[in-house]
Amino acid sequence: MTTASDPIQQAIILGNVNSVAELVNNLLNQEQAPQSILDDHLLPGMAVVGDCFKRNEMFLPQVLMSAQTMQVAIDILRPLLMGDAMAKDRRTVIIGTVKGDMHDIGKNLVRIMLVGAGFEVIDLGVNVPAQRFLEAASQHQASIVCLSALLSSTMNNMREVVKAFRENEKLKTTKILIGGAPVSREFSDSIGADGYAPTAPAAVEKVQIFFN
Amino acid sequence: MTGRKQVFSALDRKETTRVPIGEIGGGYTEDIIKLLLGDEYMTGHDSYFQNHNKIRQLLGADIVGARVTGPPVEITGTHKDWGTAVFRDFWGASFTQPPEATVQLVDPIAGTPEELERWMPPNVDQFDKTKVTRWKEKTELFVLATLNAGFDLGYELLGFERFMMWTIQAPQVMRNYFDKLIQTNLSLARMSIEAGADAILIADDLAFNTGTFVDPAYLRSDYFPLLKKMIMEIKKTGIPVFLHSDGDLRAIIPDLIDCGIDVLQSCDPNANMHIPTLKKEYGKDLVFMGNIDVDLLANGTPVEVIKTTRELIKDARQGGGFILSASNVIASYCKPENVRAMYATAHEELS
Repeated sequence: MTTASDPIQQAIILGNVNSVAELVNNLLNQEQAPQSILDDHLLPGMAVVGDCFKRNEMFLPQVLMSAQTMQVAIDILRPLLMGDAMAKDRRTVIIGTVKGDMHDIGKNLVRIMLVGAGFEVIDLGVNVPAQRFLEAASQHQASIVCLSALLSSTMNNMREVVKAFRENEKLKTTKILIGGAPVSREFSDSIGADGYAPTAPAAVEKVQIFFN
Repeated sequence: MTGRKQVFSALDRKETTRVPIGEIGGGYTEDIIKLLLGDEYMTGHDSYFQNHNKIRQLLGADIVGARVTGPPVEITGTHKDWGTAVFRDFWGASFTQPPEATVQLVDPIAGTPEELERWMPPNVDQFDKTKVTRWKEKTELFVLATLNAGFDLGYELLGFERFMMWTIQAPQVMRNYFDKLIQTNLSLARMSIEAGADAILIADDLAFNTGTFVDPAYLRSDYFPLLKKMIMEIKKTGIPVFLHSDGDLRAIIPDLIDCGIDVLQSCDPNANMHIPTLKKEYGKDLVFMGNIDVDLLANGTPVEVIKTTRELIKDARQGGGFILSASNVIASYCKPENVRAMYATAHEELS
């Protein structure tokens, strides 16, 4: 596994929930800007976690510990970032498992890794109807929506969500990313989604590409 | 040759004039059975046995999955969001089934590692063996008694994320937890064997399509030794052991062989579990079962299903050691004509 000399990055990679708060507070006391702590310490650490997960060098329990560690750090920084000009365009992603499907493992993993990559994630949970995705995208001014489904039967409900967005004048340009065991690139193309991600790290990469 | 003999021939690495075929667990959901049986579908008393027997006769299946059954679930209330019944299962966790959706955990058996350490599995004395016995006595199907072990059941009762985190945060508690679940399931395996099971199927999902949920090293140190003990106890009776796990298991196949697994079921092509390839490497030690993608059954055509099934049989049947099945449960999203095509192709006589 890749290691880092930066103690905060190391805390993120190793999932040291108990030490990260002190490390972040130390940097704040040294008057380091919150945005810099996020960009130069936390996000690079989580990027390493994503890469290691992709290469099967880290596994779900470790990724969950890293994400929890990241969450502790972000909770400290969030109120400070609110006043930071650079944080005003903080990138928001809506995520949920489509209607009829109660599976959330894959969706949660994508959420965890998106949060880890510094995105603001609004998780609508499971069994989410198309209308709820529209409402959330509108309410949070999100330009990206991620849809998950585990079942062949429910993946067809993704089509309804995509259709609802495309027929909505204000939201028709929303980028829609789909994922889940039965989903393929061909299926994504056939329903008019903007992309398909076979794994959680791939979903993060796609979302990053959409924002860039 | 009866279905039972077909499967035993495959387990004995004998080639027969056709490959055995059948599904694990319930195999087919009630809605697909209804679609396939049409007017023959029964309701009311004894309909489960009658419908499941008829569907296997109609398709020419060789296998039935059966369970020793626990006491009925206890209804404990109504879910605040969905309005559906909340029920507590045999193990003590509470679930609900929202409309048009699968069962969802509401209240885990423990909220902290300390609670989990205190948790004791319930007694299995009140389990009923008669369903397993009936399949054995009234049919010529291969009776595959289904139960669990410690991993899949472990996260179902705790919640997936909590379970995964505690493997790091409370490893000794989790080892004890695995042991408790495995000991209880071993008791169920013994009951199933007494009831007439031809084999035991351990349902234990260990992997995603991209690899194992947890580090294989963790499985080797903290889980497989306990699983191996369970399997060795079962095999003392001379009964073969099947393992069902979704996902890409290639990193742990040698470990599963070491644990004593005889048959590996699911082998989802979407998870790179291609049976002809796996057989080349592990065919001496393992029988493989599965490999027909349910998405093909859902979205393909009968012509595509026949082509895929024929190719798979051609590439996987040499020397026995292969049982055909879907890689997951056959539900109503599968087209009935595709299910019929898969089974009919398996019954084509081979030279």
